[in-house]
Amino acid sequence: MGLPLSTIARPPLLDGLESVHSRTLHSGARVVSLNLPEAPLICLDLWCRAGSAFETAAESGMAHFLEHMVFKGSDQQQAGDFDLQVEALGGHSNAATGFDDVHYHVLVPPAAATQACELLLDLVLRPRLDQQDLELERQVVLEELAQSQDQPDEMALQTLLQLGCSDHPYGRAILGERDLLEAHTSGSMRRFQQRLYGAQHCVLAMSGPLEQPRLEALFEQLEQSPLASLPRTATTPVPPPLQLHPGEHRRTFARLEAARLLMAWSLPGAAERQAVAALDLATSLLAEGRRSRMVARLREELRLVESIDLDLQVLEYGSLGLLEAVCDPDDLPVVRRQIEGVLREIQETPPPAVEIERGRKLVANGYRFGLEAAAGVAGVIGNGALWQRPSDLNDPLRALRAVDAEQLQQSFALLDPSRACVLEAVPA
Amino acid sequence: MSEPCWIRRQLSGGLLLSCREHRSPGLLAARLWIAGGSSVDPSDQRGVHQLLAGLLTRGCGDLDADGLADLVESRGAALRAEAGEDSLVISLKCASEDADVLLPLLVQMASRPTLEPDQIAIERQLNLQALQRQREDPFQLCHESLRQQLYGEGPYGHDPLGVADELEQLQRTDLRDQLSLLGQRGAALVLAGGVSQGALEALETAISRDPWPVSPPGQPLELGAASSGSPLALIEEDTEQVVLMLGCTTVPLADADNLPLRLLQAHLGLGMSSRLFITLREERGLAYDVGVHMPARRGPTPFVWHLSTNADRAAEACTALLDEWQRMLEQPLTDPELTLARAKYLGQEAMGRQTCGQLADREALLLGFGLSTTFIDDCLARAAAFSGVALQQAAQRSLGSPRLSLCGPTDGLQAAAAAWNSHALNRDRNA
Repeated sequence: MGLPLSTIARPPLLDGLESVHSRTLHSGARVVSLNLPEAPLICLDLWCRAGSAFETAAESGMAHFLEHMVFKGSDQQQAGDFDLQVEALGGHSNAATGFDDVHYHVLVPPAAATQACELLLDLVLRPRLDQQDLELERQVVLEELAQSQDQPDEMALQTLLQLGCSDHPYGRAILGERDLLEAHTSGSMRRFQQRLYGAQHCVLAMSGPLEQPRLEALFEQLEQSPLASLPRTATTPVPPPLQLHPGEHRRTFARLEAARLLMAWSLPGAAERQAVAALDLATSLLAEGRRSRMVARLREELRLVESIDLDLQVLEYGSLGLLEAVCDPDDLPVVRRQIEGVLREIQETPPPAVEIERGRKLVANGYRFGLEAAAGVAGVIGNGALWQRPSDLNDPLRALRAVDAEQLQQSFALLDPSRACVLEAVPA
Repeated sequence: MSEPCWIRRQLSGGLLLSCREHRSPGLLAARLWIAGGSSVDPSDQRGVHQLLAGLLTRGCGDLDADGLADLVESRGAALRAEAGEDSLVISLKCASEDADVLLPLLVQMASRPTLEPDQIAIERQLNLQALQRQREDPFQLCHESLRQQLYGEGPYGHDPLGVADELEQLQRTDLRDQLSLLGQRGAALVLAGGVSQGALEALETAISRDPWPVSPPGQPLELGAASSGSPLALIEEDTEQVVLMLGCTTVPLADADNLPLRLLQAHLGLGMSSRLFITLREERGLAYDVGVHMPARRGPTPFVWHLSTNADRAAEACTALLDEWQRMLEQPLTDPELTLARAKYLGQEAMGRQTCGQLADREALLLGFGLSTTFIDDCLARAAAFSGVALQQAAQRSLGSPRLSLCGPTDGLQAAAAAWNSHALNRDRNA
């Protein structure tokens, strides 16, 4: 292990935040909470290990379809009742499905938290899943799919993932395939729900003004809630570690106005926290801000691209590095050469300390900016608890501080062009 | 719990400063709000304010583009400048501890940008590319068309990014001309979050040394009249869906009718309990995304319904949308509907004050539009007093003649256009 890179201008830790409170209900489901005394709203965010990566091939799109169907009601709530009640309380609700997990959240004024919690848990954990509702909601899901397919940049990215991830679940579209979506029934959806929404796979995160009496009242309520009586489910197969297939591909896309050079790399999964922190820093040095290596070279100096982004998608079974450069189709070869040049140069000549500190501060501030509102905090503590990572919100900042020269260079090596799956997406 | 107050005072040169301490994890959000965005672009220089905004971040005072970017990024700060329809805003988010270095830059960016020719070339190219790339998005195409139908050559008739032919012709002298007017229509600096005394002193020292003469915000702004175009526009694209946008121009944010229209927006398009969401999505499965767009504007505010649906259901969706519009004009909200709309309006207000950035945006808007400090509280109080009939009357005053923009494949367009032509809402207008 090398020495820490520098001691100057270390990003400060978060100050003034209370500790995350954690409790396990008798079902085995966990609840985490953080008091934010000055927040105007409370966020309740129910997380479940039931993302699209847990679908079988025949269940294509089921995780996301189920997320829609949850809002169609439970035995106690008719379709629309939940939204009506939450919004009448001045609140707002939504949900999102990812590769690894799904979460459902409500944001409500503090006085409405107890009622919103009762409604949310009933809705998500006891969905009615009526076949007639499903037929109608299928139309909505198919419209969502069509809307996505009318965006050529989204289609190009999906194609890259299919090519690179091959038969790994991360290569399949979260929205699913039309033919298979047509075949889903309330029965098959219920089997999916019962297989994955088990107590050990669920975490409720709460954040906002949760002073002790309110928190205690919520915990008391939670002990009587569907979350406390949720059965544990049998062990379910988990996706294999991601193994991305390097390669070079070229595809045409209708209605694309500018070409895209897309690159994907297979990177360490979320559990490898120190490696993820180093990758966060590495990708920031490469493409975050006007003075980052790639933006400075390709956009500002050579004026070859309209934009260039390098995102780190932190995932449980292997993270993804995703690069997108937007350029003229004729410039694709030179854009690619320049990107490869930047990636190789930084491997051969490590960046100076001042550049590393710049990146460290960008990453740290980005994290801090994301924790301003209750929903951001609930998302971080909920997702962390779901995947059994430390609950301390300072942990990512400590990991970032601890990134040493060797780890950083290892990150750049992981982003070597030879490890990438490359797609040139060009206008038809 | 009592909320901290905004403290307002004038700096040397006339710039109004408004500050509010807000407990946050050591962060500060700043907005330098300058009146007059794309709505005051000269008629043959559409896009000049957005181009100027981009250039403000590309060098100022003694700092060249790289020097400015180095200074900002080395502090891990987020800085951007954008022209909207009514304003040009420089936004900064940073750690409070870095504010003493970064805050003085904001004023210098507006008063002494370098406007280097090579940076003008880069920024112009980026804006042209962005305009080209917008054509990939059928929603954007549909929206641009509706914008033309609603405003024509009027003040909100073009995207702040501009018009390609005119953007290509802009010269450095054009930018300098607009720069000389920046602040003359009014400006304000708003700070929310952890604001240290040291940062304020650094700001005041910089301004005393290098004053930027500006007018107070909220000056009356003369906007040209909207010149509306065709009631129906069809944009042919090889897509699966047809995008439908139906809308009108309405009244400015400060107008008495704006609030009842916002309550209607809450009723129709806010949240999953909204009328359009339930009738078009939940009951008929016609769309995934359906909503009502009504931004805050100093001038005639657009009120736009939008959805996208599969081409073979375009006629059904169009008829359903028009039926709902007609219902809005003909039927007052029931008491439960009105109660829910008020709750959502209040809830939206709370959602909009969670972060330093949101607080700063809201204060900048009030100052910039010349609205009273009690404007939001007044609206919340007034919202309680409206009846369903009052909302209906406001709709009748502003929303009687909607225009429709459609984007999608030929068959879907033709079917939706036929539905439009045969609908009572449109027939009545033509009668």
